[in-house]
Amino acid sequence: MLSTTSCLANVNCREKMPTAMDEEERKLQRLKAAVHYTVGRLCQSIGEDHQKEFSRQVIAAIAETTFRQCDIFAKDLEAFARHAKRSTVSVEDVKLTARRSTALSNFIQRKSEEIASANQEQRDTRKKIAGKRKNKDTEMV
Amino acid sequence: MAESSAEITFKKETVSKLLSSFFKEEKTKVGADAVILMAEMLHVFVQEAAQRTIKQAEAEDCDRVDIEHFEKILPQLLLDF
Repeated sequence: MLSTTSCLANVNCREKMPTAMDEEERKLQRLKAAVHYTVGRLCQSIGEDHQKEFSRQVIAAIAETTFRQCDIFAKDLEAFARHAKRSTVSVEDVKLTARRSTALSNFIQRKSEEIASANQEQRDTRKKIAGKRKNKDTEMV
Repeated sequence: MAESSAEITFKKETVSKLLSSFFKEEKTKVGADAVILMAEMLHVFVQEAAQRTIKQAEAEDCDRVDIEHFEKILPQLLLDF
């Protein structure tokens, strides 16, 4: 946090004090840039697959559209979670946002199952490691 | 060496911050698994946008994928999501 006293004390200070709005604005810009970066890489890869090149304008447009779509997704997710009287967005909420297309719905369903089984595997692995450690300890005694 | 498009994903942190920035209530959070799944959603979104735009360009016999190709597929893309 910039100290306000030093700036106010200096009468010739021309620098604008960063407001809360500027911070928000900068944060949003960083997020937009992050989205643009990944979108650019994806478009380049897909373009290579089809031996076509995307113009920079198109990549920027796709990035902007994706950013705005996130707004729509986020508002939907928040509404679904709230409807279920939760404050944390869950996997079920995400599945609902995919409801408009059957293909998308099925895809998201499959992905959620993959994630669930990956979590289960992690839990099983951790149990095994913990179990082995326990046995080792009892052996040493 | 080109990465396959399947390997290029949105970072979990980016997705999480992105969604949070659009929430109306401060207390709304996103579960870890939900973040991963949303990253997949966005991945599909971008892929669909890119692939439909390419198809449009190919249908018009253009070598370069331009903004008018994207504009033509945009309405249906938004309706499908």
